[in-house]
Amino acid sequence: MSPLPRPGRRTRGSVTLLAATALALSAPACGIGGGDDDSGDSSGPITIGTSLPLTGEFSQPGQAAKEGYEVWQEMINAEGGLLGRQVELTIKDDASNQNTIVADYNALISQDNVDLLLGTFSSLLNLPASSVAEKNQMLYVEPAGGSPEMFTRDYQYLFFTQQAPVDRQGDVFAEWITSLPENERPKTAAYPTLDDPFAIPTSEGIEEILSANGVETVYRETYAIDTKNFDTIANEIKAADPDLVVQGAIFEDGIGLVRAMLKSGFAPDWLYQSTAPSLGEQYAEGVGAQNTEGVMFAISHAPEADTPGNAEFVAKYKEMFGGLPPEDAADAFASGQVLQAAVEGVGSIDDQAALADWLRDNEVETILGPLSWDETGSPEGEFLIGQWQDGKVEYVLPEESATTDHIVMGWQPGDAS
Amino acid sequence: MEPFVQNLILGLLLGGVYALVASGLTLIFGVMRVINIAHGAFLILGGFVSYAVWTWLGFDPLLCVIATTPVLFAVGWVVYRVVVSPIRTAPMSSTVLLTFGLALVLEAFMGYVWGNNSTAVRPSYADESYRIGDLFLPKAQVYGGLIAIVVLVGLHLLLTQTWIGRAIRAAASNPTGAQLVGITISSIAALVFAIGIATAGAGGAIAAILYPFVPGSHYQWIARLLAIIVLGGMGSMGGAVLGAVMFGLAEAMTAAYISPAWATAVPYAIVFAVLLVRPQGLLGSKLRDDAVAQ
Repeated sequence: MSPLPRPGRRTRGSVTLLAATALALSAPACGIGGGDDDSGDSSGPITIGTSLPLTGEFSQPGQAAKEGYEVWQEMINAEGGLLGRQVELTIKDDASNQNTIVADYNALISQDNVDLLLGTFSSLLNLPASSVAEKNQMLYVEPAGGSPEMFTRDYQYLFFTQQAPVDRQGDVFAEWITSLPENERPKTAAYPTLDDPFAIPTSEGIEEILSANGVETVYRETYAIDTKNFDTIANEIKAADPDLVVQGAIFEDGIGLVRAMLKSGFAPDWLYQSTAPSLGEQYAEGVGAQNTEGVMFAISHAPEADTPGNAEFVAKYKEMFGGLPPEDAADAFASGQVLQAAVEGVGSIDDQAALADWLRDNEVETILGPLSWDETGSPEGEFLIGQWQDGKVEYVLPEESATTDHIVMGWQPGDAS
Repeated sequence: MEPFVQNLILGLLLGGVYALVASGLTLIFGVMRVINIAHGAFLILGGFVSYAVWTWLGFDPLLCVIATTPVLFAVGWVVYRVVVSPIRTAPMSSTVLLTFGLALVLEAFMGYVWGNNSTAVRPSYADESYRIGDLFLPKAQVYGGLIAIVVLVGLHLLLTQTWIGRAIRAAASNPTGAQLVGITISSIAALVFAIGIATAGAGGAIAAILYPFVPGSHYQWIARLLAIIVLGGMGSMGGAVLGAVMFGLAEAMTAAYISPAWATAVPYAIVFAVLLVRPQGLLGSKLRDDAVAQ
């Protein structure tokens, strides 16, 4: 089947051009908003810069983080601003690209001359972005970069505003699993995990606890970020026949694996995924609401939580964007709260080192609960564990934060055969 | 043996979808010498059009191929006339830059219209499979593969059995001669571009059922598609099909027998290795210029 005549130009030249094109395919920055060069004006607005993955692989949580920042901006300005000055956000789009985000934060600091920085989404992007901030000795409060690698660099200006780093994200879940009666406890586990500085430590942290308590690992593999087809991976997991699947996922990969397992006719007794199930309706739409029953995941924020300012945040989010705020929006909002606490605690934005010192020495009340940090900027709390029940998310662990005392014992997908 | 056969089936089904989408890209290159970097973006546009038809009108997503194909054909025609035509005879690097810019514009357009949230098209059979003993054949992939075969056979018949097909082939092999016998090259080029984009539309409708997508997903697709047509031999329809099947098999087998971490890298290594031995690709011709360069 080759009806077309052969090309009349040099194939080799075309191949070379294609190779060059492939190199050029790194997405460029697409700035939105624009910072004013007004850092020297103490009566003008305080400019805060960030770059988020508004397009590309992480656009889903990136958009949510943007919403969270915007809710915080709206609320703080309505209350009179920060140190009596209005807050103005400059948000760039890093297109989920590590090279772009470095350029973006350099531009925020040296061209837009922002007064303060807020972080981006994912460890993958926060790793280089935080290096730019550290080099420029600027406070870097970030909502979604909890990989252990973030905190092994002795950075002085970095603070992660969730309850725990990602390698401890699933501790509560793993410890609960090991506390189950012998006849209900999974004996074997599989750990398909995205090759990502967030996802790998998440599943490794759970595996460490489960392995130490006798749950045998029968499958552990990482897959590349551009993996689209999960059928083969699901087939291999099916062959390993684990009782529990723990997937270190972001979003689309979480959807992809659930659907592939359903197609293969395999449903493990238990399913835990990072991040993906926390994205509410998007997750339910992706895997089918009937297939969510019993899926467990770690989550930093509960819209129903009785934490200071949470009800106001949820109400404002509903007013601005409709619906309940996704976790990533809440995390971003909490970053704003932490930054606000540091600035108000110090009473100035002039000394970024003083802001960092203040955060190391103080606990901050946020909508996620109280946050505090060690010397590396790593938080010292513990996550909530959520579970899909009857088409909506319930918070089941730890008991003192639970929204229900009922835990669905295992994954019960409606489509599994 | 059974897991191997299962992985073989999954790889072939994946390759079938790749073949459908890559055929349009290689057709456009074969006739027009345009490397259409926006092809992946047109594929995602086809996915969004399918999503819109599915959600608004309730059509089965596979039947949406009937809608996405003519819609994308029309889009392709207009895009060619307005954007591509003015620089069709410019150096190839110009068309690469132009179509890359077009991809960015399309991504922004889709983000504006449908948002940057992940979109999934899930008909009732999306996660069901046919069973043959312990083997499973995902229904959506099977249907997608069958549609791919129908479209590819239709394309083959169009190119080999019709006057338009002969005109397309004449325009590709000898534009001056074709003009002398009354073929309007610019019209043929517009037609080919539109057909190529229409196949992306058909592929997009199928891909939307198989994988969730966002406007930015086109980067993943175009990287694969370029590799596939280079592997098969640029401009060769048969080569595109062969390259696509090899690519799909390589992805599946690597995920199963090496590691999923290498599943998207090994196929590119195979492309590299093949090009070392056959710079013109598997079914590409060795050209006079290549021979002179040696």
